[in-house]
Amino acid sequence: MTTIAGVEPRAVVEPRDRTELAAIIGELYAGDRAFAFVGGGTELELGNAPRALDTVVRTTGCNRVIDYAPEDQTITVEAGMTIATLRSVLAEHGQFFAIDVADAERSTVGGVIATNRYGRRRTRYGSIKDSIVGIEIVRPDGTVAHGGGKVVKNVAGFDIPKLMVGALGSLGAISAATFRVHPIDRECGAVVFRALDIAGVMQVSEAIVAAALVPTSIVAYDAADAYDCVVTFEGFARGVEAQVRSAAAIAEHLKVACAVLGASEREPYELRERSVRATAPWRVVIGAAPQALGKFLASRAADGARTVFYPFLGAAFVATDDLDASTISRWRSELRGGTVILHAMPLQARKTLDAWGPPPAAIAIMRRLKANFDPKGLCNPGRFVGDHP
Amino acid sequence: MNLHADFAAIVGARNTITEASELRTYECDGLLGFRVRPAIVVLPETTEQVAAVVRLARASGLPIVPRGAGTGLSGGALPIEGCLVLGLARMKQILALDLPNRRMRVQPGVINLDISKHLASHGYYYAPDPSSQSVCSIGGNVAENSGGAHCLKYGFTVNHAVGATIVTAEGDVIEIGAQAGEPDALGYDLMGVLVGSEGMLGIVTEVVIKILRRPQATRTVFATFPTTDEAGAAVSAIISDGIVPAAIEMMDKLAIEAIVAATRVDWPLDVGAALLMDVDGVRAEVDDTAEAAIEHLRTAGAIEIRAPRDDAERALMWQGRKSAFAAMGRISPNYYVQDGVIPRKEIAAVLREITRLTDAAGLRVANVFHAGDGNLHPLVLYDGRVEGEEARAEHVAGEILKTCIRYGGSITGEHGVGFDKAPYMSDLFSPEDLATMQLVRCSFDAASILNPNKVFPTPRLCGDRPGVYAPHALETAGTAGRG
Repeated sequence: MTTIAGVEPRAVVEPRDRTELAAIIGELYAGDRAFAFVGGGTELELGNAPRALDTVVRTTGCNRVIDYAPEDQTITVEAGMTIATLRSVLAEHGQFFAIDVADAERSTVGGVIATNRYGRRRTRYGSIKDSIVGIEIVRPDGTVAHGGGKVVKNVAGFDIPKLMVGALGSLGAISAATFRVHPIDRECGAVVFRALDIAGVMQVSEAIVAAALVPTSIVAYDAADAYDCVVTFEGFARGVEAQVRSAAAIAEHLKVACAVLGASEREPYELRERSVRATAPWRVVIGAAPQALGKFLASRAADGARTVFYPFLGAAFVATDDLDASTISRWRSELRGGTVILHAMPLQARKTLDAWGPPPAAIAIMRRLKANFDPKGLCNPGRFVGDHP
Repeated sequence: MNLHADFAAIVGARNTITEASELRTYECDGLLGFRVRPAIVVLPETTEQVAAVVRLARASGLPIVPRGAGTGLSGGALPIEGCLVLGLARMKQILALDLPNRRMRVQPGVINLDISKHLASHGYYYAPDPSSQSVCSIGGNVAENSGGAHCLKYGFTVNHAVGATIVTAEGDVIEIGAQAGEPDALGYDLMGVLVGSEGMLGIVTEVVIKILRRPQATRTVFATFPTTDEAGAAVSAIISDGIVPAAIEMMDKLAIEAIVAATRVDWPLDVGAALLMDVDGVRAEVDDTAEAAIEHLRTAGAIEIRAPRDDAERALMWQGRKSAFAAMGRISPNYYVQDGVIPRKEIAAVLREITRLTDAAGLRVANVFHAGDGNLHPLVLYDGRVEGEEARAEHVAGEILKTCIRYGGSITGEHGVGFDKAPYMSDLFSPEDLATMQLVRCSFDAASILNPNKVFPTPRLCGDRPGVYAPHALETAGTAGRG
């Protein structure tokens, strides 16, 4: 799968190592050929259709561990490594990578960085921005450059790693990265708050914060015409047990139905989230201040869409068969200050609809960054923010 | 032009300084070895004034050096000849507090600690806590990506300052990053790049920060050891066990001696090292993790393990640690503050190397550091009145940085590169790496007027190729030296 937002490349190449990756990119640039990068190919519908696409460069051949220091809780790997491989390397030392993906067998480290992918654990562990400490990139002209380093604390030089997060490969390829990893939590406990409306979900989330609990995730799943809100706690046994009890006490206080969930009962919820985020012709990711997003979701008419909502973070994932440009525009104006990003839409909608929405206030600086990194405009042109025709 | 009158027309005469005696205050920041008198200092009070000052400075060809509280230790706010110092200390209003979305909007001159004081009655706080937090400002924290003892668990300024209003090098006012509590902003992460850019990419006039709920419980443990080796082994054992303390700080014998002389802590003087640790979180978990951590301290060979009797004693212990730099004045007429990072597992080896370097130079070194993340602060002690000692101290401090690089670390964990460490940047980064950073700089400030002689090893304009370190004009002229 190498069709990017409906555009088929003329060629696909898969370099065997980072040296070859840099050489290929340099040649494409010198030959004035437009190119884009693909990891596992799980987010190829994200963003706008590329304006030009000659060659897709697949990074999955660059998949080695460069340096793993379990004592320092840092690992440096090549960007084409899958999340599943990374997890198994870390698990041998009782550690894990705190970013959730839908398909760990396919998703790659570079893809997670380029798309700023995150899941429910962001509640406690933050996003890849909070984990990444170093990066190696291949600039569009083939120049290899590094930013950050291999230690968790480092303020030397501008933060090139952060610049590459969520840039969708428009400033160059990510060839390797270093990030902080975490010890695997020993125990997990979860509680579901049932039959809530959105105001009820917000109330639960706020009560958890007010009680100074430390949840790994708070996720609300639409179920019929109400929401189930699953709150997960991980860590040492006594802490997990105490937090589960506190959560049950909150439910009692709020007069909300609540049950403790075993591991097998959590799984269907996680599958539901995966399905909402990976299938359906229209997939929308909404990010806004938690309060504003709660109000928006509460005011939305029943439209048959499936929704998963992170009330603590202010993110919602909406999947539906049927949506139109005017609805998206309306959402964007209602959620001014937030983001309404299309991770998938039918081909015919792409002509009129910008996947990102109106460009942000700082677009002039962003355009200069793009022009300075990619003066010929050959690297994933047209796909990123502020570049819709 | 009449410099004073033109800028006074924007910010008022009271906020415009051109008098030589008054300019002296602004000749340096916390890095005392260099002094350069600026042409003018202006102290705006609003974003609009900052924008007007930038436009006029630009039109007048004056380089701009932004300055917060002036506590920086790397010379990030060191003026350059003929520059305008843009002091933001008078912009100290808290603009908005949004508890439900856990965000706060503040002006850059707000003092770091005042934020947590403001939030205390609501049960919230701001996590990054540099030791200078009672005097340093949030704008400076953003410029330097400041850390602190508790960033081991909670992250640095970059993980907490999520949005800003900035005045660009062209004098335009724009918002970058997440403004209202949304998880991410659209487009490139300009805020992520601006934090830690040392005033070279824009002037921050408002900052949006994340605020955190106070944990249910915090337990503080103090332990002493025969040498730093055992203390280092204890830190490794705790972290390898999956425990993430909120902070874990190490002090060596000389550092303890200085702290005891300068503060009211009653720490023993006949030990080789001490650890000060906070474990925080939900109450039930804190008890378990603290007990597990204490067991590791004991196994590693702790001489004494104690807990503060009450909050007052806990505050005193932390005050002791945080005043370590200033306390050096009690045991040495002068000292050179260093800030390097190494992989945590190399602590014992690097400490031995540092001792060897200082012994060879006939000097003493006190070590205080954030042991959990390998951020060392060796304080090289010297007597400036003794011929040649200062130069030897400076040399040793430089060798320590090279040691950190050799062990796979960094030349700065939280103090910034500024002016002081710019020459070492080419030891850490390749010309291509530096050229990439330069592309970023030129995207924000094509005219190179913002803090132009910082971070990069060779003062350059946009379009220049990067090279190895070339001495600053001041050094060649003999008016200043390094260190």
